[in-house]
Amino acid sequence: MTPLAASRPGSPEAPNTRDWHGWALDRAPFLVACLMLAVIATIYGSKQTGVFTLDELNLDTAAAMTLMLAATGQTIVLIRGGIDLSIGGMISLGTVIAATRFTDDPATVLFWSLAILALGLAIGALNGLLISVLKLQPFLVTLATWSILNGVAMIILPTDGGSVPGWWIGFGYLQFLGLSSPVWMLVALVVFWWWFRSTRLGITIQATGSNEKSAFLSGVSITRINVTTYALSGLFAAGAALYLTTQTGSGSPTIGKDYILPSVAAAVIGGVSLFGGRGHLAGTLVGAFILTLIGNLVFVLKISSYWQPVASGIILLLSVLASSIADKAARGRMR
Amino acid sequence: MDLVVAKGLSKRYGGIVALSEATFSAHAGEVHALLGENGAGKSTFIQILSGAVRHDAGTLKVDGADYRPTDPDDAQARGIAAVFQELSLIPDLTVEQNIWFRREPRTLLRTVDRAQLRRRTREMLDRYEFPPLRPDVELRRLTLAERQIVEIAKGLAKDPRVLILDEATSALPAREAEWLLGLTRRLASEGRLVIFISHRMAEVRAIADRLTIFRNGRTVAAHEAGGVSDAEIVTQMIGRNLDRLYPDRVATATERVALRVTNFSSGRLDGASFSLREGEVLGVGGLQGHGQRELFQALFGASPATGTVELWGKPVAITSPRAALTGPDGIALVPEDRRGQGLLLTKSVRENLTLAVIRRFTERGLLSSRKEAELVREMVDFLRIKAQTPDQLAGTLSGGNQQKVIFGKMLLTQARVLLLFDPTRGVDVGTKGEIFQLMRDLAAKGYAILFHSSDMPELVHVADRVMVLRNGRVAAILEGEKISEESILGAAMLEGEAA
Repeated sequence: MTPLAASRPGSPEAPNTRDWHGWALDRAPFLVACLMLAVIATIYGSKQTGVFTLDELNLDTAAAMTLMLAATGQTIVLIRGGIDLSIGGMISLGTVIAATRFTDDPATVLFWSLAILALGLAIGALNGLLISVLKLQPFLVTLATWSILNGVAMIILPTDGGSVPGWWIGFGYLQFLGLSSPVWMLVALVVFWWWFRSTRLGITIQATGSNEKSAFLSGVSITRINVTTYALSGLFAAGAALYLTTQTGSGSPTIGKDYILPSVAAAVIGGVSLFGGRGHLAGTLVGAFILTLIGNLVFVLKISSYWQPVASGIILLLSVLASSIADKAARGRMR
Repeated sequence: MDLVVAKGLSKRYGGIVALSEATFSAHAGEVHALLGENGAGKSTFIQILSGAVRHDAGTLKVDGADYRPTDPDDAQARGIAAVFQELSLIPDLTVEQNIWFRREPRTLLRTVDRAQLRRRTREMLDRYEFPPLRPDVELRRLTLAERQIVEIAKGLAKDPRVLILDEATSALPAREAEWLLGLTRRLASEGRLVIFISHRMAEVRAIADRLTIFRNGRTVAAHEAGGVSDAEIVTQMIGRNLDRLYPDRVATATERVALRVTNFSSGRLDGASFSLREGEVLGVGGLQGHGQRELFQALFGASPATGTVELWGKPVAITSPRAALTGPDGIALVPEDRRGQGLLLTKSVRENLTLAVIRRFTERGLLSSRKEAELVREMVDFLRIKAQTPDQLAGTLSGGNQQKVIFGKMLLTQARVLLLFDPTRGVDVGTKGEIFQLMRDLAAKGYAILFHSSDMPELVHVADRVMVLRNGRVAAILEGEKISEESILGAAMLEGEAA
């Protein structure tokens, strides 16, 4: 007769030890992603020696880091319930500015690095402002800014080229305690997330993505949250651009588009909901690893590299399917 | 001295006047009830008070100082918190995160201090003897009743001087509702003002010190709770305005049962049983949100339901709108959301009319436009749809004419059981009269009509019988002389009577 009967998860009479079944269902997409990563790593390891070594971790993380940075920003936007396509334009523009402005002088590099980060922040804030003030779809607004940024990148540097100092390229090979700088960046991202998601800002972004109307009724300024969310995404995209130049050593006005959909895919594979409110960076990072390792796998299996997007697509479908099944199961348990 | 005073408070939404020079005053330490029909202006008033919307004109004072909140935060800063009927909770946050949302205790790292969050939550839940709740569970796992309780906790966590409870008991089962009434008295005795909105007269009687009655956006009266009878309150809520808007009610019902529904449940609808006869208009009334919407949706197969449905004496399983419409004597719905569900606004009148029956005009897979044009012309004439040509876009018609197109679409399906959900909403008075006449004409032709209206006088003057839903159940079926606004409202509001 009372809705507060025992055996329901919300009731205090429910056993206090968290029941593992519900726990696993809640994290199903993430667990499935981890499983997929393990399977892919195992296959990779059986075809290639030295996969389960620090060297390999250093290499793979270095290869995945641009995507990881871009996907971190994307994850924040997705949890807000939006999407940011403009990161593609920002990444291109960032590499192009770096490749044309960086000199051997560290002070110049520092100045332009900060300028690129500031630009990312500003472009992101502009995205957020356009979305809130004009009440436009995030998809369309960021599609437009992507195109604009892309065009500007083309104007600055029409073809791949330019250069960055040699010591800048060496960044990825720096090591500390046997771990390369990209691995330490990965650690930093995890620490950042652990902190960020329990700040008021992190909770408010999640809440706004979960239910915008309720958040508004609770006093959240939707405009402010949008501006902050997209600014963070722009900042991470700018960071991704800077990192990318340490890998490529040059600028490219078209390279950014390679990160737009993979950044969304990495997040979704890791269990971030496209409808907002749910997801963690850990899942996204696992997703980014998966997408990167598929490339390696295709290489060691000696099959055509055209199979890489096919495999990525199948994995994306499997993840979406897994989270949908888990969602239904979890809802079934509530009844 | 009065804590909250409103004078000449007005609010318009476009052309609709939601609140017109309303007055209100209440002092600290009392439970003050707000009464009125749906749309009387109560909700607008408390939305203004809680900072969710801003008023156009008039003055509002709290503690003698001008008060014009710009947002809910502003209202909260002045000590006013609202427990909304439309829940302000976040599905993906936990119970405790929701209760302290945006006011979480923090650590040196600026992260939320979980230990303190838990301790504060426990303290408050214990202090006010809340029904048991687990603070670490995500909100989306809770029932509606549990969410309502969390919403109340969230309001109380702000330690407000004025707490607004908007139909907070309507989502609660008896025991929890009882607890809330006790809590309300306790909050008043702590020196707070509780503004209490409820459609349950017994509750208002049990706890209110004073009450203010709204009608059509105006304040009609304010009373000491002891000095006024239930009958006076109901009369003041309804007012008096009878037009010759309604057609003569000629009894056309036959003995033949068109639709027999037994123990029918879907969402809030909780085991309704009734029958609808051929040639009858059966009104469905009651306060909003007591299962009317679910009944119509489920009977049309648009949402799942349990229970049995017999159509013209034969048991049927209505699993989809397609199943409802199938056969010559099926069920058709005029939906609530005309522009969203009923019409394709960018298509022509002709296309809208024939959309559901397109197969009837196809010969060997090709559209027979001659046959179609003929039927469309007949229907436009019969319904007196005011369109320049049948090819005029539906979106360019007036609300009343759009509604006629939907009627036409429904009639062309050859369904004989018609579900009309609030068919006159947003329709001008002239067309309303035509729609009522049409309903009676259709009944005379042997159609069986289930008719919900959010406007009570329509039920009183158009329906042969009126079924009142309360808490998803049939609270009363009124017939003949017994149908009146008082009796409908009585059955809808008063527990245990007239059932």
